[in-house]
Amino acid sequence: MKAVILAAGRGENLLPYTEKEQKEAIQVSGKAVVRYVVEGLWKAGIREFVVVVNDKGKQIEDALDGIDASMEFIRQVTPGISGAIRDGMERVDDYFVLAFGDIIAPDNFYSELIGRYNESGRPVLSTVPVYEGLDTYGLVKLNERLHIVKEGSTLALAGAYVLPKGEFSEFLDYLESIADRAAYFIWSGPWVDVGFPEDLLSAIENLLNRKDSFISNRATISSTAIIGKNVVIEEGAIVEDYAILKGPAYIGKNAYVGSFSLIRDYSSIEEGAVIGAYCEVAHSLIGRRAVIGSKSYITHSVIGTEARIGASAVTISYPAALKRKGERKFGALISPGGELSHGSLVGPAFRK
Amino acid sequence: MCGIIGIASEKLSDRKLAELTVEILRRLEYRGYDSVGMASMSEDRIEVRKAKGSVEEFVKKRSPSTMKGKVFLGHTRWATHGEPSDINAHPHTDCSGEIAVVHNGTILNFAELKNDLIQKGHEFKSETDTEVVAHLIEHYRKLGMDNFTAFKRAILSIEGDHAILVVIKGDPRIFFSKRNNPLKIGVADGMTLISSDSWSMFMVTNKIIPINDEEFGYISARERYIEKFSGERVDTNSRLYTEDTESLASSHEGYESFMHKEILESHLAVRETLRSMMRETEIVSKAIKSLSEARRIFVVGAGTSYHAGLMFALRLQKAGLTSIPVIASEHHYFRATEDDAVLVISQSGETMDSLIASKHYRANGARILSLTNTLGNSISHESDIALHTRAGPEVGVAATKTFTSQVAALLFLSSNLLGEDVEYLKEAEQTVTNSLQAMGYALEIGTQLCKKSNAYYLGRGLGVPMALEGALKIKEIAYIHAEAYPAGESKHGPIALVEKGFPVVFINLGEFVGELSNNIKEMSARGAETIVLSINNRLSDNKELKVWREVSVSVSDTRLAPLAMAPLIQAIAYYAAKCKGVNPDRPRNLAKTVTVQ
Repeated sequence: MKAVILAAGRGENLLPYTEKEQKEAIQVSGKAVVRYVVEGLWKAGIREFVVVVNDKGKQIEDALDGIDASMEFIRQVTPGISGAIRDGMERVDDYFVLAFGDIIAPDNFYSELIGRYNESGRPVLSTVPVYEGLDTYGLVKLNERLHIVKEGSTLALAGAYVLPKGEFSEFLDYLESIADRAAYFIWSGPWVDVGFPEDLLSAIENLLNRKDSFISNRATISSTAIIGKNVVIEEGAIVEDYAILKGPAYIGKNAYVGSFSLIRDYSSIEEGAVIGAYCEVAHSLIGRRAVIGSKSYITHSVIGTEARIGASAVTISYPAALKRKGERKFGALISPGGELSHGSLVGPAFRK
Repeated sequence: MCGIIGIASEKLSDRKLAELTVEILRRLEYRGYDSVGMASMSEDRIEVRKAKGSVEEFVKKRSPSTMKGKVFLGHTRWATHGEPSDINAHPHTDCSGEIAVVHNGTILNFAELKNDLIQKGHEFKSETDTEVVAHLIEHYRKLGMDNFTAFKRAILSIEGDHAILVVIKGDPRIFFSKRNNPLKIGVADGMTLISSDSWSMFMVTNKIIPINDEEFGYISARERYIEKFSGERVDTNSRLYTEDTESLASSHEGYESFMHKEILESHLAVRETLRSMMRETEIVSKAIKSLSEARRIFVVGAGTSYHAGLMFALRLQKAGLTSIPVIASEHHYFRATEDDAVLVISQSGETMDSLIASKHYRANGARILSLTNTLGNSISHESDIALHTRAGPEVGVAATKTFTSQVAALLFLSSNLLGEDVEYLKEAEQTVTNSLQAMGYALEIGTQLCKKSNAYYLGRGLGVPMALEGALKIKEIAYIHAEAYPAGESKHGPIALVEKGFPVVFINLGEFVGELSNNIKEMSARGAETIVLSINNRLSDNKELKVWREVSVSVSDTRLAPLAMAPLIQAIAYYAAKCKGVNPDRPRNLAKTVTVQ
């Protein structure tokens, strides 16, 4: 069975970040978002992938590099989500897996999907219980037959399906048309749909909660650094004197944490990023090769690939904004290659 | 539910193959554990060994490793027709002993088929529905059909869900069929396996060919053939896939935990329970007669079963019958007489407290009825009339689908007893399913309660037993101290503990809504975080009540309200446990079956 992976969205809720970097290519705790999807399906036995991309397709190709499977990248021509699905579907024969490339869930999510299909031989819809953002996406109602509805259920479509090839103009209408013969499952494990910047922070929590502590033999860690529970340090990383890594935290390959810096509570420092001395980083994603100047305070923020934050920059995450019915703190979203000058004071909910 | 396994090998020695079958049976034991059996086929005969009890007991009693052959079948049973015994254990054979069958499922039309076959001269050895399959195949073979055709004809004449494996003497193939019960083929070097789940075959292979519903076929050591019931051939090679070893090792048929799986199966458990209640008219009418003739009805149970019983007793009390709920271990202070009836409720049928209570009342001369979820248990043996829920085996220690099934069975009984039309129970399965739709709210509430160390569960009327059960669930699974009270009682003491942020869960089954609203107001006024679980109404619209969160589920008949509530309170406890990071399947200090006093 082939899988169609969608990685061509505009990422509107992450603008302006997504003008430069495709949402599905954003790296979280060592892997691009889309890679979690493809690897999950790979472990569930899928070996052929059709990935629908847009003009930033190269980023997705790089993100999926080295996976031992047939990968076909096709450029989306028909507009909209439904269009992307239709474009992808042209490359499959009969039953296929459809997966949204912006979901972060454990591998079991995908094995359950495939397992349910194998068991029933019918189309399968994944659902997750939700209580926030009930009105944002299709919901599944379990009457005598399944229905796709806008309200009246707390089971949301979870972004991975096994579907027969078919004709449609609107995807949700298509799901509704096959729902009467579809099987479903309710996923109760961790699951994040990456749409807003805050979702990237939830994704880090989600991933780090599942990771055991790991420190590579090839990392250089000063004897005076303090490393707490649930910390992952990849090879080539350098942790300087008196740095404190208070988990859960992720320090990527060749990343650098300067002296006296504190990295804490679900922070993810991606490959090659540099944290200067005397910084504090909490609940934040520091993108690949980004640089944080000394004495900065970065909280509830997403710092893009190769962004440069000057010395003594401070992000403010409070008061929290109301997002999708829940209160969620957010500091700053800095686009790839973006800059914050020395001594900046930004936030809450700052975007650049 | 039962576990089945078939293996055809050309490489392994007989002994190795027998040992492998036993090992796989151990892994299938979660699907049923009341009796075990194996069949082996060598060139000249089919040998069957089977015994009541666990795989370990079977191995001790029957030494299966000395069985000879290159084709093996195995079965671990959860009894649904005929109590657990050596005779009723699978595999079952035909009159000639040349056909052996293992089966997971129920054959709905087995009584007719059996009568038919008896008329044709077949002799049945067991009380099971499965045995008819062996005789049916025998019958069709006698008509001149080849083995596979005879097998297919037999399958097409049985009704109901199944996964079936069959071996026929002199034929190296294992025939199989599947409709709605799990069955997968495992492919290894010089060997083919077929089992209820892929996890059980994991130590041999992770190369799997799934079988879809309404498909049958056969396997041998090197061959795998599948066709649809409609006759269309399936390309087996295109289905072959490799299952990930990591996710296999950690999964429970794909579910995160057994408790999650079992909550989500509740609607099926309720359906099966009510189906069997409606089918077994003879014993059920005997039970109803006995209860209706009784002067008083004692309802005995422990833990969750007590709560189901309490609800039953309250319903009868309200209608003017004298019904006395008894906590099993406290039976001493409730004395019965000869004109009383006692209904003992226990999931396992082995609960020591309930068994002792039952003996006590038998000594009083009362008539004993039982409601259990297993066949042939001690409590049903001790009772005059044994009724059963059909929830299937429950692995999670905390009762979930079995509780909901008890509630359904007791609704059926009480309605019959009170002369009500039971038509409304046709909606029971859908009611439970509707409630599963509210899982998102259960997730939110569970996640909120997870941050607390105490909670109250309050209700009125039938909401009281539900509140008790809700509090018990969250205590045992999520280790959150929770107390349940009749809501009216809460102001006579318990309210003293309430301060800002103290969570109070109200069970609102639609009864005494005005009074319940007052209780909510009292709690909110003291800063409590009030959570309302409502059936068929919505209280949070009244802003004065300051409800923190309300879940409202609708039912077609108010009597069905407990069936909608049960999965909700269970899921809240489940999500609270998940949020705390504790394993909901194995709560500390608890055992599934409490066989001590």
